[in-house]
Amino acid sequence: MHIAEGFLPAAHAVAWFAVSTPFIVHGARCVIKESREHPDSRLLLAAAGAFTFVLSSIKLPSVTGSSSHPTGTGLGAVLFKPPVMAFLATIVLLFQALLLAHGGLTTLGANVFSMGIAGPWVGYGCFVLARRLNWNVNVGVFLALAMADLATYVVTSLQLGLAFPDPVSGLAGSMAKFLGIFAISQLPLALAEGILGVLVFRVLTDVARPQLERLQVLRASKLAVA
Amino acid sequence: MAAHGMTLDVAAWASPWRTRSVRDKAVLAGGLLVAAVALPAWPGGLLAGLASLVLLVGPAGLGWRRLGRISWLPLVSILIGVATVAVSVSWDGGVRLAVTPSGLTTAGGLAGRALAAVLAMFLLAATTPMADLLAGLRALRVPDPLIEIAALVYRLTFGLLESLGSIHEAQAARLGYATRRAAMSSAAMASTAIFLRSWDRASRLEAGLAGRGYEDSLRTISPPKRRSTAFLVASLALIGAIGTAAAVWAVVAP
Repeated sequence: MHIAEGFLPAAHAVAWFAVSTPFIVHGARCVIKESREHPDSRLLLAAAGAFTFVLSSIKLPSVTGSSSHPTGTGLGAVLFKPPVMAFLATIVLLFQALLLAHGGLTTLGANVFSMGIAGPWVGYGCFVLARRLNWNVNVGVFLALAMADLATYVVTSLQLGLAFPDPVSGLAGSMAKFLGIFAISQLPLALAEGILGVLVFRVLTDVARPQLERLQVLRASKLAVA
Repeated sequence: MAAHGMTLDVAAWASPWRTRSVRDKAVLAGGLLVAAVALPAWPGGLLAGLASLVLLVGPAGLGWRRLGRISWLPLVSILIGVATVAVSVSWDGGVRLAVTPSGLTTAGGLAGRALAAVLAMFLLAATTPMADLLAGLRALRVPDPLIEIAALVYRLTFGLLESLGSIHEAQAARLGYATRRAAMSSAAMASTAIFLRSWDRASRLEAGLAGRGYEDSLRTISPPKRRSTAFLVASLALIGAIGTAAAVWAVVAP
C-alpha cells in the first residue's frame, strides 16, 4: 500500500524524506560494507531486491473478492535484517514508482518510512521476540509478516491523517477514516501474507537450508558424529 | 501488474526523447513535479499538469492509448484517497459521515495536485529507461556498489517476472487457483520458486562474472546522449512561466 504521487503536501513530503534519510543512509552503508567484505553478496542482495519487487506481482486471494499483493518486506526483514531492507525497499519503491506508476517520487520518503523502515523493524522485532520466547519458528514468521504488513498500514494511515486532518474530528477522525478504508483490503492481506510466509518458509527450510543458515535465519546444523 | 510495468518501460525505451540527456529531462520533469506539488492546485498545479500532458502526448510521443494504460493504477489510488478526504467523520451522538464544503475544497485541490504530479512523473518515467537513470546517478557520484545492486535488481527483475508468468500459467492450467485454499498454496509455491530462482541466477551470474574478472563495477557502453542548451532554457522558461502565473493569480485573485 503506497501513497500516490503528489498526494502529500510539499512540507509533509520533505519532512518524511528527512525522517527516512538516516535509515536509508545507514542501510546503504551496511550494503557497501557487506559488498566490500564479501563481493559475492552484492549479487545476492540484488537477488533479494528483485525477489521483493517480483513478490509484489503475486496475487493473493482477499475476502472482499478482489485480490491484493504481498509487500514482501516482512520476509525480507527476517531473511536480510531491517537495515538492509531500508535500502532495498528504497530501490524497490523507486522501481515501483518509475516502472509500475505505483507510489511516487515525491512520496518516496513517506513510503520508504512506512514500508521500508516501520514495517521491517516491527516484523523483525516480532520474529526475534517469538524466537526468544522459544515459540515455534513458524509462529515467528507468521507474526513477522502479518505485523510488518499491519505496521505499514497503520503508519500510512497516520501519514495521511497528519496530512489531511478531518475538518470536524481532526487527526483522530482522519486516521479512523483511512484505517477504516484500508482495513477492507489490508487486514485480510496481513493474515494472507502471514500464512503465505509460513508456507514459503517451510518449503525454504526443506530446499534452501544452506542459504538460510548462511543468512543466520536458521542455526547451522550440527554435523552428525559417527 | 507485470504487463502494466512493461508498458511504462517499453514506452521509455521507444521514446523519441530516449537520446536526450537525462539531465535535460530530469530538469523538465523535476521542475514540473515541484511546481505541481508546491504551487496551489489552481492555477499552478493545473498549468503544470496541462504542460506535462501536452508534452507527453506531443513531442515525447507517448500516445493517448499508452497513457491510458499506465494511468489507471495511480488514478484508482488517487480516487480512493480523494473520496476519503472529501467525507468528514464525527462521533458526537454516534458515528456520522458528512460532506462538508471545506472537505470538498481540500479534496478538489488534492485531486488536481496529484493528477498533475503523476503526469509530471510520467514525463521522466516514460522517456528515460532505468538503465539511463542509473547511469545518471553514477554521474552524481552515488557509490558504485549501490548503483550495481540497483542495476542488478533491474536486470534480474525481468527474467523473474517472466518466470512468474510461466509458473502462474502452469498452476492455473492445473486448477491451482480454482479455490481460495489452492490459490494460497499456489502463491506460496510460486513465491518459493521465485526466491530459489533469484538466488540461483544471482549465484550463476556471480560465478560467470568472477570468471571474467568482475571486481568493482559493471560498466556498459550506452548510446551517446544529446545535451541541448535550448531544451534546458525552454524547460526553465516553462517552469518559470507557470510559477509567475501562479504568483500573479495569488495577487490578482480576490
